[in-house]
Amino acid sequence: MSTVMEEQGMPETTPAPMIRLHNVEKSYPYKGGQTWVLRQIGLEIQEGEFVTIMGPSGSGKSTLLSILGMLDGDFGGEYWFDGKPAHGVSNKERARLGKENVGFVFQQFHLLDDLTVAENLDIPLSYRNVARKERDARVAEMLDRFQIVGKKDLYPTQLSGGQQQQVAVARAVIAEPRIVLADEPTGSLHWKQGEAIMELLRELNAEGTTIVQVSHDERVAAFGRRVIEIADGWINADRKLV
Amino acid sequence: MLRQALRQLGRRAGLSVVMIVMLALGLGATTAMYSIYHEVLVRPLPVAEPERLVNLGAPGPKWGSASCGIAGDCQHIFSYPMFRDLEARNTAFAGMAGFSEFDANVAFRGTATPATGMLVSGAYFDVLGVRPAQGRLLTPADEPRVGEAAVVVLSYSYWQEGFGADPGAVGQTLTVNGQRLTIVGVAPREFFGTVWGRRPRLFVPLSMRWLMQPTLPRTDETRTAYWVYAFGRLRPSETTEQASASINALYSGILNEVEAPLNTGMPPAMLEQFRRRAITLDPGALGQSDLRSVSTQLTLLLGVTVLVLLIVCANIASLLLARGVERGREMALRASLGASRGRLAGQLLLESVFLATAGAVASVPVALLTLRGFFAISPGWVVDNLTISVGRESLLFAAVAALGTVVLFGLAPALYATRADLGSVIKGQAAQSVGGRSTAGFRRALATVQIALSTVLLALAGLFAQSLANVARVDLGMNVDSLVSFSVAPRLNGYTPERTAELFDRIERELAGVPGVTDVASSSVRLLANESWNNGLSVDRLAHAAGADTDASLSMVSPGFFRTLSVPLVAGRDFTDADRIGAPLSKMLPRVIAGIDPTLPIDELTTVRRTVQENVYLDRLVAILSGGFAAAATLLAAIGLYAVLAHSVVQRTREIGLRLALGATPQALRTMVLKQVGLMAVIGMPVGLAAAVALGHGVGALLYGLVGYDPAVLTAAVATLCAVVAGAAYLPARRAARVAPMEALRYE
Repeated sequence: MSTVMEEQGMPETTPAPMIRLHNVEKSYPYKGGQTWVLRQIGLEIQEGEFVTIMGPSGSGKSTLLSILGMLDGDFGGEYWFDGKPAHGVSNKERARLGKENVGFVFQQFHLLDDLTVAENLDIPLSYRNVARKERDARVAEMLDRFQIVGKKDLYPTQLSGGQQQQVAVARAVIAEPRIVLADEPTGSLHWKQGEAIMELLRELNAEGTTIVQVSHDERVAAFGRRVIEIADGWINADRKLV
Repeated sequence: MLRQALRQLGRRAGLSVVMIVMLALGLGATTAMYSIYHEVLVRPLPVAEPERLVNLGAPGPKWGSASCGIAGDCQHIFSYPMFRDLEARNTAFAGMAGFSEFDANVAFRGTATPATGMLVSGAYFDVLGVRPAQGRLLTPADEPRVGEAAVVVLSYSYWQEGFGADPGAVGQTLTVNGQRLTIVGVAPREFFGTVWGRRPRLFVPLSMRWLMQPTLPRTDETRTAYWVYAFGRLRPSETTEQASASINALYSGILNEVEAPLNTGMPPAMLEQFRRRAITLDPGALGQSDLRSVSTQLTLLLGVTVLVLLIVCANIASLLLARGVERGREMALRASLGASRGRLAGQLLLESVFLATAGAVASVPVALLTLRGFFAISPGWVVDNLTISVGRESLLFAAVAALGTVVLFGLAPALYATRADLGSVIKGQAAQSVGGRSTAGFRRALATVQIALSTVLLALAGLFAQSLANVARVDLGMNVDSLVSFSVAPRLNGYTPERTAELFDRIERELAGVPGVTDVASSSVRLLANESWNNGLSVDRLAHAAGADTDASLSMVSPGFFRTLSVPLVAGRDFTDADRIGAPLSKMLPRVIAGIDPTLPIDELTTVRRTVQENVYLDRLVAILSGGFAAAATLLAAIGLYAVLAHSVVQRTREIGLRLALGATPQALRTMVLKQVGLMAVIGMPVGLAAAVALGHGVGALLYGLVGYDPAVLTAAVATLCAVVAGAAYLPARRAARVAPMEALRYE
């Protein structure tokens, strides 16, 4: 059902990857020594892929995701995004690269409770200096596309978990990122709601958005086409789903 | 519950200590000011049933000489014969008494010291209901005839200091102003007479006045020499109105039948007024004193400390609220285990009670230190004449204030923290349900109130500081630097006018020879000491209209007086030795005086600069205290603001991390925090400014050379507060900009 692909076994004709990690390592000082979270991570992700990172709790999945999302610059090794380095650059430069290319979906939805659905959708645009008129138009379009127009003036606490995650996905893509990183996107939902969210992500992927998600649920992983398994900070396996 | 409350406070020991320290500062300052306020404006005389005492006043025209002092203005004095008439024929009061202050040179066992003495009528102690500490007090029997009562009662403190509290002092002889008086007794420890702000060491019969003040002409039968202050004691159940009607019937009779006929030459309209004069009766429980005119300043300063205390309350409420938010889940869990809301609120309130108790206890040393500071910036006479301590009433005040603060700072947080929605807490959303918009809003409102209060206090302090600066800049018309003044009263030691003149001459000559002394001069009225000597005068070849006011202030001065003070003369020349007619002269240094006459005490040796400063001591006191309290208030408000913002950043860590993940720049997050504080400032400062302008208008009479809405002062207050607010916001803003997004998103 799946094949293990070694990095050095990649055909030379493969287009330049969107993401290329080389020997990425991450550790924290602990009791006078170091505790390793990620070890010698080598990884390439092409544009348009739908990748699931799997592994037990504490294996380093979320840390890897935050490095991929350019939220964490404190790591060793190299991280190239679209041929541009995300390692050894200033926080500002890395944040800019992330802002231009990455959208996030979180397990806990992380909507802002004090803002309405529409206002939550507006946040990423407001941070990208998009003109007010265009922002309004994009928010309206997104509400329409995700079929949540009727909920635009509600606050997150007035929505179900599934609806909140729906809004969170809409918010992740509203700024038209090239890649969406999802950390356990269905982890706080029951399966019916989770399935709907995964359908959404699959649709987005079909439209060209690269998706990288973290999950430990095989049903969720099945929506993607590639699985990277991590244990104790090492990549154990990298397989394609057929 | 008790143990739980203590454990909770102990668990967050640092925060508890911060709250107790803030409470101690606020309560301590307020208690100290209340102690002063109570001593000056509330504490009754330590006598029997002080509420039954009434002070007599005699407003209206007075034809003759008047000598009034700090017990009250010249509307409150009677002539000696009038007082004796009223006393003898009194049916209005259970008893009435009179008194007058005098300066004494006291010689005992070869040493001479200056002292304040009180001339009191024989019934004085009896009317007050005071009992002796030693021997006996004065009685009407001590005043058989004028000048025949050679007895004296010592104040308790003088008995302690001068006689080592020796019971054998009674019966000994004391020389007061050259008269040998027998000590008959000692007044009780807490009794210092009825004039607040004066601590007489001696009580001498009123009829001894002309022996105690030998320079004064004898006026025991002169109805136009006014100098006796009088008070009476109402009979039980007698009203002031009844006493007034009764005493005025008597007074009117004496005025019309005895005194009016003596006023020959008084214009008819004035005579008519004279005949219609009536005695006023004022509450006498606090005694009599002109110094009580400081009530506005004291009320103001007490108000200022109350504002400081309110800021402290707001700070503590805010901190407790923050803690309540953090404990939302705990509260919900307790509720799920069956605790009622009342019980939970009770537990939180109990913690507040502990805090308040600890704060109240810790406030006592703060209050004592504040009082010490008050005395350090007060002039000598305040230090000498007042004992202000944190007494029973002040402790009661502190306890009540502490209880009040518990309600203020403990109740709202207790209600908020126990409002947790159980369901949402179990779902792990405690921070949202309990610490949501309303709590944060309430804390922001508290911080906004603090900004407003600080604005008021800073503006007021600025006004008083500016006023003091204006006072200090006033041109006194003389050079007061390098000028030292002192006074001697040789007449009280029995010097004749001729010998006095010789003495002054000699003092002046010898002082002029002291190295460093450039000029010496003397005057009969102390320089710039708020003293005056008035007398009628006539100018040669200038006729007066009948009834014209010929009263004028004058001072007798020595040759070189104007040169010594660097006072330029508008016309003419300074006095020279050729102008001497044996007028009293004086000047300089204790050693010189001691060399001339060792029994002559020197009084009030000070620099003139200091005298000038003491003249405006009240302005200085208000400026320094209000400035100090405003600084404390602003610091506390800054701490409060910092706490609110810092906690807000901690609470919003998840949100801040999320915003970073969604593309916010660190600058945008700094701006977010600054906007939050900016909004509070934009609301709080104008409110504070409006209140400051209103208050400034109210205290306009206390300001010199500026109006209560002085734009420069208000601008400076706002600028200071802006800097403080920005300072308080700096760290939280920086912390917000440095939040690590992934950690924040895992933060619960």
